[in-house]
Amino acid sequence: MSSSRDVTSRLRQTIWNGSLPLEIRLHKGDCRTYDDSDPYLIQYPRLSYLGLLIHRLRAFFSNKLIYPDVDVTDLWLEHEGVPLKWHYPLGLLYDLYSGNEPAYPNDATSSKVDTAADDQVNLPWRLTVHFSDYPVEHLVKLDADGKHLYDMFINSAKEADYLRNGTGRTVMSLSKEDSTQLWDSVQQHDFSLFGPINQKLLNPQGVNLRHIPIKLYLPHATSSSKADAAAKSKDKAPGSLRVVQALVTPALSSRQPQTVGTALNQIIPSLFPSRRSPLLAQAVLHGAVLPLASSVEDLLRVAAYMDGWMHIAVIMMA
Amino acid sequence: MTNRISQFPVLTTDEFKIASATLSRRFEQLNSSQSTWLSVNVLREEQCTFLQILKARPDLNESTTNIHGSAEPLPIEDDDEEEVLQNVRPSSVVITYDVLLSPSYQVPMLYISFIDAQHRYPPTMETLYRYLIPRQFTEQINSVGIIGGITITDHPLTGSPVFFIHPCQTAAVMEASVGNKELTPVEYLMVWIGAMGGCVGLNIPIALAQNDDTPCSE
Repeated sequence: MSSSRDVTSRLRQTIWNGSLPLEIRLHKGDCRTYDDSDPYLIQYPRLSYLGLLIHRLRAFFSNKLIYPDVDVTDLWLEHEGVPLKWHYPLGLLYDLYSGNEPAYPNDATSSKVDTAADDQVNLPWRLTVHFSDYPVEHLVKLDADGKHLYDMFINSAKEADYLRNGTGRTVMSLSKEDSTQLWDSVQQHDFSLFGPINQKLLNPQGVNLRHIPIKLYLPHATSSSKADAAAKSKDKAPGSLRVVQALVTPALSSRQPQTVGTALNQIIPSLFPSRRSPLLAQAVLHGAVLPLASSVEDLLRVAAYMDGWMHIAVIMMA
Repeated sequence: MTNRISQFPVLTTDEFKIASATLSRRFEQLNSSQSTWLSVNVLREEQCTFLQILKARPDLNESTTNIHGSAEPLPIEDDDEEEVLQNVRPSSVVITYDVLLSPSYQVPMLYISFIDAQHRYPPTMETLYRYLIPRQFTEQINSVGIIGGITITDHPLTGSPVFFIHPCQTAAVMEASVGNKELTPVEYLMVWIGAMGGCVGLNIPIALAQNDDTPCSE
């Protein structure tokens, strides 16, 4: 019993510590010396939000800007033409758009997977920062105080909380103080602040886990039929997605836990016709392909993002 | 006798579909007798059924010309003039109200955006307060009521930023509005529009509300 709890907390910690190297370059259209500026380099937590970086990026690039007094809220980030959503955690953006192969569970022993993968993938992840031509049609605009980022995060955390515990009538269990501490833990990426709130949220007294907060992100190129996908992506923005969610219970019956495979088969049967083996698409979370046999409840306890959701990228198999 | 909502204050997917179809059908029947809404359609995209209500933006200057006396109604002549202009102007501005059932909260969610060829109404808080929230509601701006729950988020189907009323209070609002009365799906939807829509300019046309008395069991 205690050993399984150790595994859970060790995995939780490992996922918390997951990070990606980023190389952020100033777009030449905003750069006074055209393309002659140094990149901003940072090792950034997978679970965190790029929106928390805007002031640091603004300060770093300020002496290279054509218009040095530009507002910090005009800043936006992009990877190969795809504007990066502020409310998606970095790890999700990377899993969706980097084009790098995810890690497979049966590659090797767990410690070897990371090194093997690192050798092949294209890192650091290269992003471009813009200070003009904000894509208002595609990206929510932030404010300098981070209020909007906070709202988006807390609304998402509340929704996850409601899914885990809620009925139509119960009151949201996330108190004002808890919300504040939770956001502090996000901003500082501090596990000692996050852990206690997370424990409280995941184990509320006298309430059974009702639903698993899962969101599936399907790039519009992802479809069971290629012609269909081409037609649909025609007038969509680059990198546009379909976000799918449904009520997923932790168990199918008293004896049968819900697995990743049964959940995916229930939500998008066209892409996951089998509950046991991935035939058309892979579900990727934190850079790793999810084994379809794993229990969604176990996974939730170790692998949720900071807002309580499992944000899963659905990637078509080659 | 029509079917009542089975799990008030939440709505099932089927009840939401019935409510949307009924409202759309009633609107078609009444279309000639009201001019508030342009259209009410049940649409289906990516396996998601939703209700789309279109409304012409009534008066471009309504919320900015009368800053000094918010309680005073605009002079009637102005209203008439604007209405005429609105009908004549070829590229008039349309407000889109998309109503989707929240998969988490099981209540309707309201997504609001402007259709404007000239892109004069980007999804920003400034647009929200200047052009969307009717004058009589702007005094509540900093309150924590429904207006406090309006934010900007990605439309779940288009992925574009739009205005959004967060649904975490909707079930409580519905309970407070309805009490113990039993509702049919379309009654639920109309009470919901009445409770949540006013602060973003979505009001049930009077003709449609009056029609509510006639049973609709077909």
